[in-house]
Amino acid sequence: MQKLAADVHLCSVDKYGESTAVHKKVLIVDDSPAEVKLMQGLLEKEGYWPIGLHDPKRVEETITNERPSVILLDVVMPDRNGFQVCRDLKGNAEFNMIPVILVTSKDSASDKYWGQQQGADGYVTKPFTREDLLRAVRRFA
Amino acid sequence: MRHANVVILTDETEFARLLTACWQAERQAPNITVLNSDSWREQDAPAHDLVVVGPVRDGKITSVLRSLEPATAVILCVPADSQEFGQLRSKYPRLVHIPLREDWAQTLLLVAGESLRRAKALQIARQAERNAAKNENHATLGRYMLEMKHSVNNALTSMLGNAELLLLEPGQLSSQSLAQIKTMHSMALRINEVMQRFSSLASEMQEAEKASQAETEEAVAPTSRRR
Repeated sequence: MQKLAADVHLCSVDKYGESTAVHKKVLIVDDSPAEVKLMQGLLEKEGYWPIGLHDPKRVEETITNERPSVILLDVVMPDRNGFQVCRDLKGNAEFNMIPVILVTSKDSASDKYWGQQQGADGYVTKPFTREDLLRAVRRFA
Repeated sequence: MRHANVVILTDETEFARLLTACWQAERQAPNITVLNSDSWREQDAPAHDLVVVGPVRDGKITSVLRSLEPATAVILCVPADSQEFGQLRSKYPRLVHIPLREDWAQTLLLVAGESLRRAKALQIARQAERNAAKNENHATLGRYMLEMKHSVNNALTSMLGNAELLLLEPGQLSSQSLAQIKTMHSMALRINEVMQRFSSLASEMQEAEKASQAETEEAVAPTSRRR
């Protein structure tokens, strides 16, 4: 079988053993289940393979297991906020190539600047439209 | 600026006539009401900024002063050697007294002018205090709104996103449900616009505050450097 690129994931194998559909995995980290479900719904309709995670402390573990193409990261979360997660990922040689898009209701210029300083690759403010979210994701996956 | 209101309280008609005439000769005369000690009852008296108590019948000064509100500005214009005044002085040490001498009218006008200015300044200060309290309430509301912005935006994300998800498959909905979801979606967008306007207003106000603070610091800096 043809070896897949790191950011492409086999979705199904047909009866001839050929891969028929590849979906790019998007890791969604948000403490709100409703918002995770919403983003999953929007991304699934566009052919992505969204993986929801409510616990920001398990980001590294989930990346290791799932190897997502892009990460959608909420900022205001208990225990470990999105800025911290982003800083840790960008400081880790194993994960720093994965694009991180901050998805947050923090919409001031200083918040965006601070997000950039943490190494974020994109910034989407809540509330977003379907197009806002997809435009940001399509830049990387 | 409104005219000040002065009550002249005296049982001597000549005192009231002379004082009124002197005041009316001034560039800015207050509204003057003349009352005698029999007709005086502060609660029934017209609104006043200053009470000038002139000569009244014996024993009446104490009852008049007792009937006045503690905050009322009072000028007492009686002979300094009266027995009643001697007792009052120890009881009301801050009482403004103008002895009834040759130049009493001019002195009284000067003191009254200062007293009215003080009353006006007090009135402005009280109004400023009331305004500050009102502004503080508005500021509390504003701070609450800013704190709630995050929650409102999160709720809006769900409303907008789920409406968009439903609208992606219009075939599964009746035309009535479709129209209702479209209405919900457009109303959510309108709330979003309001919230964005609120955010930009908050940023503009922050910027204006910073600029004003910088201006104040700039104005203060040369003064402190001179010290």
